[in-house]
Amino acid sequence: MECGGLHIMKWLLAFLKGQWLKHPMHPILVHVPMAMWPSALIFDLLSRWNGNAMVRLSFYAIIFGLVASLLAVPTGVVDWSGVKKENPAWKIGLYHMILNLAVAVLFAINLGLRVQTFRQATVIEGAPLVLSIVGTVLLIGSAYLGGLMTYNYGISVARMSKKKWRRIAEVGGANLPPE
Amino acid sequence: MLKDFLEGKPLRHPLHPLLVHFPIGLFILSLLLDLASFAFRSTPDLVRGAFYAMLLGIIMALIAAVPGFVDYTDIRGDHPGRRTATAHLTLNLIVVGLYGINLGVRSSSLNELQTPIGPLVLSLIGIVLLSASGYLGGRLVYAEGISVGRHKRRTPTPVQTLHFTARENGEFAFVPIPEAERLGEKETLRMQINGEVITIAKIDNQLYAFQEFCTHRFGPLSEGDLEGFNVQCPWHNSGFDVRTGKVTHGPAKVDLKTFKVETRDGKICIAVPRATEKS
Repeated sequence: MECGGLHIMKWLLAFLKGQWLKHPMHPILVHVPMAMWPSALIFDLLSRWNGNAMVRLSFYAIIFGLVASLLAVPTGVVDWSGVKKENPAWKIGLYHMILNLAVAVLFAINLGLRVQTFRQATVIEGAPLVLSIVGTVLLIGSAYLGGLMTYNYGISVARMSKKKWRRIAEVGGANLPPE
Repeated sequence: MLKDFLEGKPLRHPLHPLLVHFPIGLFILSLLLDLASFAFRSTPDLVRGAFYAMLLGIIMALIAAVPGFVDYTDIRGDHPGRRTATAHLTLNLIVVGLYGINLGVRSSSLNELQTPIGPLVLSLIGIVLLSASGYLGGRLVYAEGISVGRHKRRTPTPVQTLHFTARENGEFAFVPIPEAERLGEKETLRMQINGEVITIAKIDNQLYAFQEFCTHRFGPLSEGDLEGFNVQCPWHNSGFDVRTGKVTHGPAKVDLKTFKVETRDGKICIAVPRATEKS
């Protein structure tokens, strides 16, 4: 029984790390909230000219972003848990996580404020608009930190292709650490 | 200067992977709105929403194409990820072309209650191709390490690996490297001598040769940043002293192989030990 549970845990961790896909899952899933929430803000602003169509579109974009961001949480936590604490990327990951949490909560509140009115409204009220602006600004900051983790600290880079690179380095005559 | 900007060096983050979030998310949103229009059929809003999401997606895709193309031109010609990058580029051009047609077709049906079948099918095909292309793009970063840490390097990276054959007998083979004569400060050459892959770097007008592959996850040191006598791996920031090969910064734990660079008969030569030669 214990053994079975452990097996399932291991399988789940490997799944969340994206080993089946040979690609980490978190950076894939975050494309959706990353695109939806700034777009929702754009649609909010466009509602001045395009009325209810844009109000609705913004509402749908926020929902889609929320659903995908919830899916992205476990994959992000798993990737972060693989970062060593002495790596500067660990702290950046922590800030990234806290900011993301704040952003998701802001857009959830934002959505709640729109539920009653989005079917008829032709303009976005002040409070949801401000929430969209603040949420988008924080999101961009947070996404930038996530990007730094990949492009500045190499988190998840060559993690699943390590064997391939090792082989190339071996053929290239390099000094290698023991396997 | 413009190239540095388009590669996102001032931002310490490449621009292409940042901008592509928008077309990917918006094209998916557009398809979801198409599908929702079949479910609800109440107002033309969903059909219109799908149209506008697609329009914004195309605009963002075109903007993302510019830094993407610049990133592409910076991939070493013989890099194993180069073919993936070419496939990614080609697929993206097809996807944007398809969405352009898609947008044109649906522009005449903005008052309908549900998206016509033609554009819907085009959107489905678009998403399938886009997913494949996005996956290839992700593989370029996470499997091939393209663009990772590139902003740290301020000089151009090697365009091609040079190939040399060592023919001398004796303890060392001295291989003349004509290209090293023209190497600029803090620039590197990547070369293969009888199979051994070696980087030459110019620091303070001196040439230093060491193994190309980092000893951590084997990142390309010829694309790393040079600071003092230190070379920093672009991927995970391991540091090595180019004079001795010693690790100066983790995560790497194993030192690099280094090679002597000497002038012989007025030519810059690299000394390759016979023992490491492979034929």
